[in-house]
Amino acid sequence: MIKYRQLLARWETFLVLFLFVILIFGSWVSKYFVTVSNISIALQGVAPVALLALTMTLIIVTGEIDISVGSIVGLCAASIAICLSHGVPIGFAIVVGVAVGALAGAFNGLLVAYGMLPSLVVTIGTLALYRGIAQIILEERGISGFPDWYQNIGLGTVLDSPIPWSSTIFAVCFFGIAVYLHRTRWGRALYAIGNNREAARFSGINVKGTLLGIFIASGVMSGLASIVLTAYLASARSDTGTGLELPVITAVVLGGVNIFGGSGSMLGVMLAVLVLAFVQNALGLAGVTPEQQQIVTGAVLVATLVAFSGSTLFRSFQANLMRSRSAGD
Amino acid sequence: MTQSTDTSHLSISASPGLVGKMLRARELVLLAALLVIGAAVAVREPRFLQVANLNQVALSATLVCIVAVGQAVVIIARQIDLSVGAIVAMSAFVAAEWLSTHPDGSIAIVFVVGCAIGTIMGAGNALLVAGFKIPAIVATLGTLAMYRGAVLVYAGGRQISATALPPGYEGIARAYVVGIPLLVWLALIITVVIGLAARFTRTGRNLYALGSNPESARLLGISEARCVATVFLLSGFLSGLVGVLWGARFGTVDAVIAPQLNLQSISAVVVGGVSIFGGSGTVYGAAIGAIIFAVMQNGVQLLGISQFWLQAVLGLAILVTVYFYSLLARRAERSQSDSRRTRPAARLLQVSK
Repeated sequence: MIKYRQLLARWETFLVLFLFVILIFGSWVSKYFVTVSNISIALQGVAPVALLALTMTLIIVTGEIDISVGSIVGLCAASIAICLSHGVPIGFAIVVGVAVGALAGAFNGLLVAYGMLPSLVVTIGTLALYRGIAQIILEERGISGFPDWYQNIGLGTVLDSPIPWSSTIFAVCFFGIAVYLHRTRWGRALYAIGNNREAARFSGINVKGTLLGIFIASGVMSGLASIVLTAYLASARSDTGTGLELPVITAVVLGGVNIFGGSGSMLGVMLAVLVLAFVQNALGLAGVTPEQQQIVTGAVLVATLVAFSGSTLFRSFQANLMRSRSAGD
Repeated sequence: MTQSTDTSHLSISASPGLVGKMLRARELVLLAALLVIGAAVAVREPRFLQVANLNQVALSATLVCIVAVGQAVVIIARQIDLSVGAIVAMSAFVAAEWLSTHPDGSIAIVFVVGCAIGTIMGAGNALLVAGFKIPAIVATLGTLAMYRGAVLVYAGGRQISATALPPGYEGIARAYVVGIPLLVWLALIITVVIGLAARFTRTGRNLYALGSNPESARLLGISEARCVATVFLLSGFLSGLVGVLWGARFGTVDAVIAPQLNLQSISAVVVGGVSIFGGSGTVYGAAIGAIIFAVMQNGVQLLGISQFWLQAVLGLAILVTVYFYSLLARRAERSQSDSRRTRPAARLLQVSK
């Protein structure tokens, strides 16, 4: 009985129910919603955000934030593009892109962990800086003409199955990062850092090294996301990935991760990514414009938070009532 | 004990002494930085100092400056407002649309409508943060999407161009009073009034108290909800006002204007020496921050540096100033703890020897 209650009270349970509601709504809106090809399209569209949400979760769990991910994606895309336009083989260009992402993340991490600067401010600064470097590299050019197999990363599916390549990449990353966060002591350390940094340091956790590590991970993931995104869009420009940080943070928060750090689960974030993907897809099938979808996305975020906060307020009110009653007795 | 005695005690203990001096020095440092940047540009390109150019710089700083002043108050109270850009866009579009359909309408009405829209949207933020206790960064992330989406839907891809607007409206941005643009006067007055209010009114001091230590502010009887609501209403109001001015200044208005304004205003506030964790800094600093960005932008243009470098330069400027401030803060911390602890520590050392 108690177990059921705990399950009910969990954020993930709520998200699963929400997902069912959307599936019902979607299949009511359009008979094409619950088709294999449509689901695969919805998954392809959300892949870059989904990838970035994984490492963003790690960062937010420690109580930090990375606003610069969209710009790192742009910088990686610009690096890949400039390599391609100089005739560098694409395999090597991909490596360069991911390495640039790692460097950009390392710079963020050094400033936050070793410079002891607030991550919100640092990454607002590097948001401008990285986007600026992308603009310096690429100016107004757009690079396209990727080989077919590269575009397959964003748009293709694995062999003849309906599973998109980008979802496969996501699944691998999700599994790895979820195991890291929930099943290793280094993952547990992130929660400790998010809950009480001082205490974490005194209990022997290498706080600075850990923070540097997850910012580098975020940079590497931005490199991967830039590959998926440029493959999906079939072009790379200096403004690739602009504003990407907002849906990413939205997904993480909707996934039940505390924005001040210390709690949250990978499963919740993945469910939130699916919720966002299917809400947008269902609305698109219902003929709702992308602008209106934006309102709905914002409203979903606000409504879930209000519901959650409302229930917490109600529970504390109830607890107070019980206490005053028992005091009265 | 009443609330007033508590808070007056707080304001006395918070205003003078080391902290006050340091804050004042911070604005001086900023002004010095502004002068150095201006001088560097002027040496390379004397046209920078021409009155017409300086007026242009001042004009381009005003709109960001007003939003940054609102943002500064929000951040001082340990909140953040990511929705300002969307509020500006909504206010600007509604104002411009109304004027284009009512060319003979009163411009005063437009200002009232714009400010009302801003205040209502600010009230939405206030409700979520103060009422439902949702963290500001998350709540305004949500309202950012909703507000921007609302403008996009309402505008439906329409663009209102300068030709459709009455000349009197654009005249606001071209008007000069005593040789200085009217908008600059307006920004100056807003900055000074809010700066004085933050320093000398009880509400203003409460914001600093709340920002520097929410727990003790609550113990002092300061209503957190009321303070938080105040700052979001103010930020919304100022964004609404800027929306109306936006159309007057730029002529062309559509749903996607001011996409960078959130980050621009936060950058100006941070460069202006307001701590992102609240409780310290002034709106004057934020205003100077906005001017520094405008001067740098103008300098890049005048010196013929490629436009593509601008963003990178601004990003570096943010990082450098933040690093500088952290050095200042650490030094202040050290000197404070030194003055508190040296003597007992020295005694301890002597004993152990």
